[in-house]
Amino acid sequence: MKKTLLATACIAFGALSTPALADLTVAIAGPMSGQYASAGDQIRKGAEMAIADINARGGVLGEKLKLEIGDDACDPKQAVSVANTMVNRNIVFMHGHWCSSSTIPASDVYNESDILMATVSTNPQVTERGLKNVFRIMGRDDQQGLVAGDYLATKFKGKKIAVLDDKSAYGKGLADEIAKAMTAKGAKPVMRESITAGEKDYSGIVTKLKQAGVEVLAYGGYHTEVALILRQAQQIGLQLTVMGGDTMTNSELVTAAGAASDNVMFTFSPDPRKNPTAAPIVEKFRAAKIEPEGYVMYAYAAMQLFEQTANQAKSTKYSALEKTMRNGTFKTVIGDLSFDAKGDQKAPGFVVYQWKDGKYDYAK
Amino acid sequence: MAYALQQLINGLTLGSMYGLIAIGYTMVYGIIGMINFAHGDIFMVSAFIAVTAFTLLAAADVSSIPLALTFVLIVSIFFTSAYGWAVERIAYRPLRGSTRLAPLISAIGMSIFLQNTVQLTQGARVKPIPPVIEGGFEVWSTPDFTVQVGWSQLLIIVITVIMMFAFTWLITQTPFGRQQRSCEQDRTMASLLGINVDRTISFTFMLGASLAAVAGVMVTVYYGVIDFYIGFLAGIKAFTAAVLGGIGSLPGAMLGGLLIGLIESFWSAYLWAEYKDVATFAILCLVLMLRPSGLLGRPEVEKV
Amino acid sequence: MSTVVFARHQVTATERFRDAGWVAFVALILGIPLIGLTTVDGGGALEVETRFGVLAIFVVVSFVGRLGLRWLIDTMGARKLERLRDDSNKSAGISPVKVVNILGWIALGASIALPIMYSDNRYVVDTATTVLIYVMLGWGLNVVVGLAGLLDLGYVAFYAVGAYSYALLSTQYGWGFWEALPVSGGLAATFGILLGYPILRLRGDYLAIVTLGFGEIIRIILVNWTEFSNGPNGISSIPRPSLFGLDFTRSPAEGEQTFASFFGIEYSPMHRLIFLYYLILVLALLTHAFVSRLRKLPIGRAWEALREDEIACQAMGMNTTNIKLSAFAIGAMLGGFAGMFFAARQGFISPESFTFTESAIILAIVVLGGMGSQMGVVLAATLLVLIPEFGRNFSEYRMLLFGAAMVLIMVWKPSGLLSHREPTLRLSRGGAAINDAVKEAAQ
Repeated sequence: MKKTLLATACIAFGALSTPALADLTVAIAGPMSGQYASAGDQIRKGAEMAIADINARGGVLGEKLKLEIGDDACDPKQAVSVANTMVNRNIVFMHGHWCSSSTIPASDVYNESDILMATVSTNPQVTERGLKNVFRIMGRDDQQGLVAGDYLATKFKGKKIAVLDDKSAYGKGLADEIAKAMTAKGAKPVMRESITAGEKDYSGIVTKLKQAGVEVLAYGGYHTEVALILRQAQQIGLQLTVMGGDTMTNSELVTAAGAASDNVMFTFSPDPRKNPTAAPIVEKFRAAKIEPEGYVMYAYAAMQLFEQTANQAKSTKYSALEKTMRNGTFKTVIGDLSFDAKGDQKAPGFVVYQWKDGKYDYAK
Repeated sequence: MAYALQQLINGLTLGSMYGLIAIGYTMVYGIIGMINFAHGDIFMVSAFIAVTAFTLLAAADVSSIPLALTFVLIVSIFFTSAYGWAVERIAYRPLRGSTRLAPLISAIGMSIFLQNTVQLTQGARVKPIPPVIEGGFEVWSTPDFTVQVGWSQLLIIVITVIMMFAFTWLITQTPFGRQQRSCEQDRTMASLLGINVDRTISFTFMLGASLAAVAGVMVTVYYGVIDFYIGFLAGIKAFTAAVLGGIGSLPGAMLGGLLIGLIESFWSAYLWAEYKDVATFAILCLVLMLRPSGLLGRPEVEKV
Repeated sequence: MSTVVFARHQVTATERFRDAGWVAFVALILGIPLIGLTTVDGGGALEVETRFGVLAIFVVVSFVGRLGLRWLIDTMGARKLERLRDDSNKSAGISPVKVVNILGWIALGASIALPIMYSDNRYVVDTATTVLIYVMLGWGLNVVVGLAGLLDLGYVAFYAVGAYSYALLSTQYGWGFWEALPVSGGLAATFGILLGYPILRLRGDYLAIVTLGFGEIIRIILVNWTEFSNGPNGISSIPRPSLFGLDFTRSPAEGEQTFASFFGIEYSPMHRLIFLYYLILVLALLTHAFVSRLRKLPIGRAWEALREDEIACQAMGMNTTNIKLSAFAIGAMLGGFAGMFFAARQGFISPESFTFTESAIILAIVVLGGMGSQMGVVLAATLLVLIPEFGRNFSEYRMLLFGAAMVLIMVWKPSGLLSHREPTLRLSRGGAAINDAVKEAAQ
């Protein structure tokens, strides 16, 4: 029996490793399953639409694009495994991963195999390690934290502000930057603590906030916890204004927190949906019953970025692509993209948004 | 002082919920001596059933809260106990009589399976429902802090106390309780005396699942936001509670649950919230070092 | 056993249908809340959606599936019975132990040949490396669970200790892989004793929860103690091991040579992967040799005696404290080595890699393999790593299949895939084996 197992294992290995030769393969990777699966879902929808559009235009350099989807469930170990699978499938471009803790180890693999990647992970370490193949089409946590911290320090001057995070690489990084920026502006947070993401009961910490007289909460982490904190704060009669990061774009926040979500602000890149050139694409998504929120447009833009890079480089060779992407400027649905020496997006700019009646808009 | 009182209330609410789930663990452990790792996920399934039921009621414009709660509890208990029964039948009964670890692994597998089934069939997004029971009352008001108790918190504590008494009565006073206890003590002897052991065990699983269902409904009412991942943490906490109180003992599980709820809430109230789980486990270790079979557990008699 | 089964009545068609009908009914009840109904976000509030079509398909599939399964089980059972009747007067063919041994050699050969056959396939080599890490972890935990019979649900703690000690030693103090190896192992073993000491009195499931708690404590400390472990950000840029000072990089550091330039071959990232693969293979084989050797030593015998009966051990005057602690220490040390290799291979570690789920999977490997069986661990580790990997083609069904497979394997083989365990001492005719063993021990 063992022998048959071995044999099947070998055959299956072989099957997995056969590269598709016909088309040009690009890939996305992110949490398609697990706790953060809704973000993965947004990425997939955006990328699928983009690929369909690009192929309708005749593909890239005469070749049709084929999309590979990798699921890393935000687990660093699985991310490496996904990266290796993708290398074997001879991808030329990767949009991903999503979680910073997945992107960092996976990028080493892509780097070794000369695969270009454009990610939305915001942790500074993603580009700080000097890997030439890594580009970021989103701002960094330190920029994001700076904008949020400044806003809090000026807008809520004299109010008691607490900073919380969820102990994830993303959440803690963001919260640290916010606290730093606030302190620099002379508004030192009255409380700096962490919670455990995935729990449901935050009444202990909420009561603590009430005791400390906190009115404004800066939170580094994901939207689910914010919704719970808001609900539980209401229960003990505490009115909280929350400042969060780009994850608060998720509309689940509104469904989960109800009316309390009107008090949630967050920082995000200028809304691609407000970009006039993106209007037809936005319409197209809505016609397909997909709200182009969160990472949908980013995934779309990443594919556009690759299309334009390859067309300008007139090649799909790594060195040509890398050079073109580093030096060029590309018109995408999230605006004009160009990159600095580290691979970070030039002038990403963060804007403060506020939820209002189930929609988010620039905060006044 | 007022602050401490508020935290006490928070701790009691949380602890009641841990306790409800822990009783399920303890009952199953008592009768077949296995850690049912899938119990936390049964609780998760029940929360999903509760959300669906609440949404159905909202669509049908049912506005009476007691009516809605009764309906949801009945629906949830019915379907959840079906799940409890099925899990036992599929994953544990074939393993009865094999090594002690086999059902444990099968339970872990079942837990992964249930989690992913729910993710696939119900989606990975969080499921929120609008607050079912709103408002509360002020208990005590000092100049710098007002202690508030939500009606839903009160409901949870009351229901837990009722469940606690109902189950103690069930186990100590009824014919089923006697059968259950006899199976706990000696399965072979019980079957020789004409007790249907299989049925008793199945029924125990269904009872454990019903308690999980009550907890699931309570969680949905109180927090209003659930996802397919809640079973995992709740399961581990409840398991800890069951062991702390002495696994196999019903009042022990309740006591353990309350203790853990209180430790968590006071630890995060006065010390660092991020280390509250460390505190919980450290206290567990300490208690077990001093009393190796938990607070209310009977020490095992070893016969040679 | 089999003599009882001989008289079994033939199942009638009605019975089969009734049985399948019952299963379909259960499937219907279970399916209503999760498959038949679902809630979707309808712009600000949930709405219920019905999927009775899918539910109907599910119920029909359960009905047909049950019918088929029942039929299969019955025919298989009948055939087995037939064979039993035939075989009753024949002697068994080759002993299963021999088969396992031969398979072991085949597996060894295959694992040595694998990187040569797939020298340009990153994915295969990398997945095989993962399998070997789990094999090593499984063998380490086997000492604690399989041999000494102490249920450990927090084994991942030692894996984490090994990984973090190498990561910190190398990034902070510039230690190399080989220098850090004994230190990491030693640290992990120390933690093993640290954990073992306070819980010596505990039994069975009480032990399990304390070990689980210990694993969680280590993880929470790693997450929160940012100054020490860099918290949730983890530690990146961990140096990779070198082959006698030869690095596997594209361009050599000043005054040094890389693997490629030393041998005068063209650089390929595969070299390092293959090197890492052989490294873990050697580590795993050393572990195997070590553990097999230990089993034959007094300490190994003491572990197994402890597993079978603790009271008898005490009565025999054995020092159970030391026996338990040594099992914890050695198990932990092996876990530490595996963790260290994991850190060196990934180049990036964060507390997310050391969750309870990981402990559960390692334990599952030991139990599914057949407790105490070394080859069983290899088989189970291969299966448990490959099932989710194959599942990548089914993306979202991946973990579902994984969970289902765990349950099914356990139900199918309750004592593990390769449960046939050779007793270390055998009582045979005339007690020859004992005499031999005594002689062997005397030598």
